[in-house]
Amino acid sequence: MFWQTTAIVLLAVTLGLLINQIHPGRLPLVGDWSPEAQLTLDSGESMVVSIDQARDNFFSGNAIFLDARASEIYREGHIQGAQNLPWERVDEYFDKVMADIPEDALLIVYCDGESCALSKDLALELFYRGYENVRVFVNGWSLWVEQQFPVSKGGKSNA
Amino acid sequence: MLETPKKRSTIFLLVIRLILGGVFVYASVDKIIHPAAFAEAVYNYQILPDALINLTAIVLPWLELILGAFLILGLWLPGAALLCNLLLITFFGALVFNLARGLDIHCGCFSTSQEGTSNLCMCLYLIRDGIFLLLGLYLLTRIFLRKSEAFTASMNEQL
Repeated sequence: MFWQTTAIVLLAVTLGLLINQIHPGRLPLVGDWSPEAQLTLDSGESMVVSIDQARDNFFSGNAIFLDARASEIYREGHIQGAQNLPWERVDEYFDKVMADIPEDALLIVYCDGESCALSKDLALELFYRGYENVRVFVNGWSLWVEQQFPVSKGGKSNA
Repeated sequence: MLETPKKRSTIFLLVIRLILGGVFVYASVDKIIHPAAFAEAVYNYQILPDALINLTAIVLPWLELILGAFLILGLWLPGAALLCNLLLITFFGALVFNLARGLDIHCGCFSTSQEGTSNLCMCLYLIRDGIFLLLGLYLLTRIFLRKSEAFTASMNEQL
């Protein structure tokens, strides 16, 4: 039984590695999954902002914060003044939420969790829709709460 | 008439093999065609170290395909059934782990909400994978029992 299990695994490893070599969507064996690598534009510019940059832009009022999480989670707590544009309903709410925001505004998009893809996906969507000054605050909500920076609860989500 | 329960059991085992084999084959196809999307799904589980994400995304779909094909064709059944259970336990454990720590596997983001669609989906996945796991355990047990019966019969013949 165990030799059969081992043989099946070896067969899968061999086939997987061989087919990957000729696959059009070939993956490198080891990928760089750091947020910085995932959020670097073709120009080489990083879209990531640190907690310090996010804080400075918050207190100077230079940036508009966008919460990419679902509306019910946004209402449970969000960065003070942040607007809610849930990534999963972006087409539905984009015009409403972005109506008064100029394309050259500094936008800081966040969600929650080191690997949370909502903010990354929303930021790239905004970038390709013409908002070239968009940044991602990775794991933003957790880091913001940890530092005890201003937050709001409830409130009316635009979305 | 004495053959009927045995025949029924054989047909039932065949049905379980076809169900589990079909599920594995079906689950593997899209992952093989779109390895990058599957790698992102693996990343969203936040269980494996970054260095193993691509390798898993390359090998796992082929393991599922081969395993599914072997279950359907009845090849190397003891080894295939054991591996099938190991995979199902791993998938089930990964879901339970992420549900317990509040990680939404769709986006890799944390959600403190106990309501909403993502939590419901996770519970439905758990029920689905739990059913597959029960089928897998039944299949493995029956194969073991049959092997044991065959071994006892051959020993009796020798005596």
